Amino acid sequence: MDKMIFLFSEGLKNLWRHKLTAFSAIFSTFLTLSVTGSLIIATENTSKVIEYLRDKYKIEVFFKQNISDDRVVALAKEFNSIRGIRSTTVITKSDAEKIFKSQFGENILDMVGYNPLPASCVLNIVKNQPDAVKIRPIIDRLRTYPEVDEVNYQGRLINRIESYYQKFVKGMTGLLILVLLISVLIISNTVRLTIFAKEELIKALQLIGATRAFVKAPFVIEGVFHGLIGAILASILLIGGLSLGEGILQSVTGLKLQYDTLFLISVLCGTGILISLVGSSRAISKYLK
Amino acid sequence: MIRLDNVSYTYEKGGGVSNVNLSLGDDEYAFLIGPTGSGKTTLLRLIYLDLFPQVGKVEIDKFKSDKIKRRKIPYLRRKIGMVFQDYHLLDDRNLFENIALPLHVIGVEKDEIVERVNDSIEEVGLEGKENHFPMELSGGEQQRACVARALVKDPDIILADEPTGNLDPVTSFELIKLLEEVNREGAAILMASHNYNLIKGRGHRIIEIQNGTVRQS
Repeated sequence: MDKMIFLFSEGLKNLWRHKLTAFSAIFSTFLTLSVTGSLIIATENTSKVIEYLRDKYKIEVFFKQNISDDRVVALAKEFNSIRGIRSTTVITKSDAEKIFKSQFGENILDMVGYNPLPASCVLNIVKNQPDAVKIRPIIDRLRTYPEVDEVNYQGRLINRIESYYQKFVKGMTGLLILVLLISVLIISNTVRLTIFAKEELIKALQLIGATRAFVKAPFVIEGVFHGLIGAILASILLIGGLSLGEGILQSVTGLKLQYDTLFLISVLCGTGILISLVGSSRAISKYLK
Repeated sequence: MIRLDNVSYTYEKGGGVSNVNLSLGDDEYAFLIGPTGSGKTTLLRLIYLDLFPQVGKVEIDKFKSDKIKRRKIPYLRRKIGMVFQDYHLLDDRNLFENIALPLHVIGVEKDEIVERVNDSIEEVGLEGKENHFPMELSGGEQQRACVARALVKDPDIILADEPTGNLDPVTSFELIKLLEEVNREGAAILMASHNYNLIKGRGHRIIEIQNGTVRQS
């Protein structure tokens, strides 16, 4: 236990002993996490927009004239189980007649002597899946039913929105990975500077019988503190900035930014600790090799 | 306790030791004497396995250079106290912290650390200097601090590499006497030196090394 306390206090003291390198490591973690946090908020809000747009996607299936209402209901149930379909709404021939009357103010039976309006079904698309919604397979599947006469959908628009969204998600993920990798390298090199400055200590520790883990621990603990402090500063900047900026954004654009404060802080702290841990472990392991 | 069988080590740029056969008993005090560059430091580095023999074998108790795993080397070094010419004290720690470091490494409890460090400081005569940093100590005091750091973990062997190299004759003589006291308490001592005048007539075994070869043992 005393050994653990010693290693922990050494890590903490190192923050003060290596002020300049600590500042560099904390600053680079802070910058990385500020960018990471901004990307997370941007991605989260873009996914809300895509959910809103997907909510508007509809596929209309028109059935052939001779189909019974019971069969229409049964088919709608089947359609509901197709991957990518969130819900279905059945419009029977008599529903269609009522809709016609409410929209045009006239009874179609009086006009043509019979009800020519087909039964139909409106299919709503899933809205909160991360992958692109693939409309084509759904349409192809619907067209295999002999009872289906016609399928209407906003194919080109949906495809375009989904394609842009996927490009955005891929771009953001790539950027995030790049930022994190760069950060690990920066932290690793910053810690290496500390290590070179502490060569004498490392040599002394090795000569008095310190194990590899004992030599590594204070540097890794110091790294974790860098990450944590950088994460706290980035959280303050982002949450403070968002609190100040969202009012202005809402009044100008009408958009309300959505983010979970606790989630954001947890992700930033977790990421900060992780990249510092990886960066400092990498640096000291390389040195001790 | 220490045994070297046909040990050879040659550096890339030349120098080193060749075909060394040597053994040192449990409570022996021996001087390793030879001119600068004769291989004294190499021999000591081979004993604490900072270098591995290219030929032959080094044996310290149950540790054997040809069988030991790298992760076990720290456990060998915990049995050895080392004293260097240039002290190897850490400038950013005071005397107490420098001497306490080997005890933290082996996981000694805090109260025991205080007791053992104070005992060691007393043994080398540095009472009252606990809070001094190395830069605030004289060369002789720094070397005694180095001895205290070697003693504090109660080692079986003390390897001293030219510990009097930076000291005046009086302080050097005091250091040799201090190591003799340590030896009487049961630790084996192997002290390297190039100064024959300092060690002659003390009644200890003298191992002579020249051009990497042990001439007389």
